[in-house]
Amino acid sequence: MPRPEHTSFPISTGFRRLLAGGLILLLVLLLFLPRQAQEWLGQMGGPMALILEGPLHGVAAIQDSVGETWNHYIALQHVWEDNQRLKQEIQQLQGEQNRLREQAILAKEFEKLSKYQTTAPMTTLSARIIGRNVSNWYRAIVIDKGTRDGIHAEMGVITHAGVVGRVIRVNAITSIVLLLSDPNVAITGMIQTSRDEGIIQGTPQGTLQMKYLPPLSPVQVGDAVVTSGLTDDFPRGLHIGHIQQITKAATDLFQSGEITPIVDFSKLEGVLVITSFQPTISAESPPSEESEESEGMIPVPQHLP
Amino acid sequence: MIIALQIALCLGTVVAQATLSTMLAINGIYPDLCLVLACLLGFFTNEYKGFLFGLMVGLFQDLLAPGGVGINMILKGLAGGLAGMTAHTISTVTTLAVIIVTLALSLGCGLASLIMAYPELDGPEALRAIFRILGPQALYNSLLAAGFFWFTHMLRNSLGVVHFIQGRR
Repeated sequence: MPRPEHTSFPISTGFRRLLAGGLILLLVLLLFLPRQAQEWLGQMGGPMALILEGPLHGVAAIQDSVGETWNHYIALQHVWEDNQRLKQEIQQLQGEQNRLREQAILAKEFEKLSKYQTTAPMTTLSARIIGRNVSNWYRAIVIDKGTRDGIHAEMGVITHAGVVGRVIRVNAITSIVLLLSDPNVAITGMIQTSRDEGIIQGTPQGTLQMKYLPPLSPVQVGDAVVTSGLTDDFPRGLHIGHIQQITKAATDLFQSGEITPIVDFSKLEGVLVITSFQPTISAESPPSEESEESEGMIPVPQHLP
Repeated sequence: MIIALQIALCLGTVVAQATLSTMLAINGIYPDLCLVLACLLGFFTNEYKGFLFGLMVGLFQDLLAPGGVGINMILKGLAGGLAGMTAHTISTVTTLAVIIVTLALSLGCGLASLIMAYPELDGPEALRAIFRILGPQALYNSLLAAGFFWFTHMLRNSLGVVHFIQGRR
């Protein structure tokens, strides 16, 4: 039976023997001459290492990227948790900051009132606004002081800036204050420079109007309007506003003026209720410097007009 | 228990009117939540309960309003009673019916309040008040009432609650 011929690797038997002999010689050399063999093999291995470097770098890069991705994924899990925690902390801090800011604003507002309360020549009671405009037909506020605190109807209500309105109804722990811009409130006032008196009343549009000004009054736009002190609820010299417009028709007996109020009624937070006051001008007790310099009180000359 | 809840609802509405009205104001027009509540209670119950709840919510409102005590009480009571009577008269209370009835009641109550608050108001000023305040406010009230009515109706249907008016009949 004939043996099959090796066609795929046609190496002769002699060459095989030579190759085997060479390999044995190489092993003997490696065994007995290690240093020389190392150098020789090193010189031969250099180019071969170049061939291996490419795939090695590729594998290393893949391994690195996988490891990096994995590590980042794990880290991102923590980052997400940290992120959530930090977001909650930020929200809490923002809420806290907002609360503190609100308290600071309120404290500043009440500090102004308190400062004014101590310097103003009248006894006042500070009150907080707890409600507004219960009905559409009145411009009113609800304050947190009532009969228990000594509030009575018809008491004047002010801020450090000027006049706010008048107490119209008192309950046990709350009171209703009708704002100066309501048409149902009227107080006596005067032009600061000319000393001409008139009646100040709200209008249905929510503005202030000064009526019954003398026809020859030299009132001008921009003049300050203050309380005249002729009624029992407000002392003389409290700021009300400034003349914005003067009107006098040919047939009218009196002049009238539109007033821009000094107090922004829509932004009130706290008010002072005037419980009692001494007239600021009298022969016995002239007004002190401190009281005249109080905010909201406009200095009044020593002589009466 | 139910009565306590109903009283709490009336009180809560007045408190909301006093505290939230500034936030709910559109161009300076405040909704009258007490009127809306009186009308809705009239629509959902009957004229008798509508009248009683209207009286109660009006009384609470009067206690915090500058006008004399009794004006809002009477007006809200009438509004609640008339709303209940309307619900009794028409076959089905729809959102459109709520809008029309609340608009009419709001206009009526507003006009009465205007006359009571400013008796010496002259013609042009009264007209200005009607067109600038009364009309928009009535529209606002009616839309608010319709919104609440629709929402409550949807809630009832989704919860499978028997319609009160149908049950009453």
